[in-house]
Amino acid sequence: MNAAFPPDVIEFWGAARHRFDRLGGPEFALLAEQDRALRTQAAAALADLGADELDVRADEDQLLAGALLCRASGAVALPWPVVEDLLRVGERRLTLVDLGHPRVDHGDLAGEWIGADLDGTSHLLATGSPRPAKLGPFLVPATVGARQPDIPADDVARHLVLGVWRLLGGLEAALAEVVEHVGARTQFGKTLGEFQTVRFAIADATVSLRGLEELAKYTTWRLLSASDAERQVDAIALRLAGADAAVAVLRTCHQLLGAVGFCDEHDVSVFDRHLQPLIRLPESAERLAQRLVPAVRTGAFATLFS
Amino acid sequence: MDFEFGAAADALRVRLRALIREHIRPGFLGAFSNDPADLELTQRFCKILAQEGLLCLTWPREYGGGGGSVWEQTTVREEMWAHHEPRGAQYMGVNWVGPALMRHGSDEQRAKHLPPISAGEVVWCQGFSEPEAGSDLASLRTRAVPDGDGWLISGQKVWTSYAQMASWCVLAACTDPDLPSSQRLTLFLVPMDRAGIEVRPIASMLGPHHLNEVFIDNVRVTPDEVLGSVGGGWAVMRDALAYERVGIARYARCELLFEQLMEVLGAEWDELPPAVHTRWVRALVSLRIARLLAYRAVADQGAGIDPVDASISRIVTTTCDQVTAEVLLEAVGATSLDAGPAAVLAGAIDDHWRYAQAATVASGTIEVQRMLVARDVLGGRL
Repeated sequence: MNAAFPPDVIEFWGAARHRFDRLGGPEFALLAEQDRALRTQAAAALADLGADELDVRADEDQLLAGALLCRASGAVALPWPVVEDLLRVGERRLTLVDLGHPRVDHGDLAGEWIGADLDGTSHLLATGSPRPAKLGPFLVPATVGARQPDIPADDVARHLVLGVWRLLGGLEAALAEVVEHVGARTQFGKTLGEFQTVRFAIADATVSLRGLEELAKYTTWRLLSASDAERQVDAIALRLAGADAAVAVLRTCHQLLGAVGFCDEHDVSVFDRHLQPLIRLPESAERLAQRLVPAVRTGAFATLFS
Repeated sequence: MDFEFGAAADALRVRLRALIREHIRPGFLGAFSNDPADLELTQRFCKILAQEGLLCLTWPREYGGGGGSVWEQTTVREEMWAHHEPRGAQYMGVNWVGPALMRHGSDEQRAKHLPPISAGEVVWCQGFSEPEAGSDLASLRTRAVPDGDGWLISGQKVWTSYAQMASWCVLAACTDPDLPSSQRLTLFLVPMDRAGIEVRPIASMLGPHHLNEVFIDNVRVTPDEVLGSVGGGWAVMRDALAYERVGIARYARCELLFEQLMEVLGAEWDELPPAVHTRWVRALVSLRIARLLAYRAVADQGAGIDPVDASISRIVTTTCDQVTAEVLLEAVGATSLDAGPAAVLAGAIDDHWRYAQAATVASGTIEVQRMLVARDVLGGRL
């Protein structure tokens, strides 16, 4: 039993965080909403880190490095489809969609896209133009094109898992902002962080994220060790846990920040709005839970006694 | 990265399940029953575990332990709790009294108390909570007044599990009310048959034997019965409670109950309302998280359990216990309030729901755990 990341992967994570911070953090993501061409700087940062050469399908170390690259990208709401690039099929980015209503985050970037549903059914996507929206500001509608070979279940699972690492990075950063705020903001003669209700809310959010982190590590390891039937089930379970945790933690963040947290220029607003595609798509949390019901019945959702 | 416990732990799990199948009767719901045969069964089973070197698997061999890994010990915890703790009241001695004695006891105390615990021959109880001091243990009122070279202890303890069965108690008392709260308390190792100790059971929804009052009237204790140092009780308690918080693998029983109920319901399970199915799924995901957080706390054990990891683990596993209890009752439906051997799973679901109500209260309320987590994140005092 060893739940620690290898030292070289931790070192890579540190380098990624440092490089993304140099872009300007979540503020850079906000600027990119106004000037979408700025996103090429995010691509340049990823290239500096050697992300193009990272093969998350190859071995455990590269998968773990990919996981922490996604976590670092989430921590600044990096305006780039990192997961979709890491899981390219040939030269085409791979995105997970509801094929009945495909939406693609950063779908307006140059390049071709393949959209797959959670069963692996895939099509070429013709992505449309950006539409003005607060939630998922880089999300664009798409139409389904030619059918493509099914995407392997392992790629779908990796996609779901890496997406949660990105989500986790964003949630951790959002909570860190709120922790700083409640330590500094004074009301009724004391800091917000001295009120027990506030302390409990911070504790609950911390517990949620610690649990999500452990589940993400475990599920990433399971991608390389579990049976065929279990890998995708585990990945969906992680995504469900990520979506549920995100809703709870972001609610806490907004409540503790008060009105300032809703302002566009506040980092928590950026995190909340930019993370929405990962929370809601390709399927809602309740639909993910429904997908897992048969797996409970067959034992594919493994417990100590299944 | 590797989440496997290893071949030794896997083999141990198989061995434990075989021992349980062989020695524990179907429908056994623990030693806390009105049937004395249940307590006797756990006493016999503890001796079997002790003979097999499994009762105190991770203890050093010199104290009767098996020298096993913490992951083997975790396997024991999971299998025992899942199967309604057939060690009965022993788990308290094994899980935290023994480790506390190893870390804080004198050579004489270790020699006297550890072998009987590892042999499964003695039951311990914990005399901490009082009518006026629950979560705030530093404000205990039970007083130990100097008398000759020892003390006379008077006061009252409450909610004391196992008190009727126990032959020894780790008794917390205030030795100097004028000192800061962290230096007021001392722990004493006291035999329960000593003159001046009286136990009264408290009837409760949890079932028999869970809750008791202990009245202490001028009970004489000697310096060699102090665990740790005089005034050092708070530090020992904090250490001990960290062990206790990761000691109960509640998630394991929840997972087993879900499996067993699904099997019993058969085709009826498929007809449950969709909302119950998805609640069931979410509960299983939460239980997996609870298990992983417990492993994180266990992994710290080499350097002493990180109290924050222990608190986080406890918050999640106790709340999962209650969520599980609700989903199970919901799934059973119209017969959910039936109790006793004729009820579904021989009354295990009714038993689980009742006991789960105390999960977020016993061994330190989760509010205390949340305060500890918040203090770690935000700083400041509780």
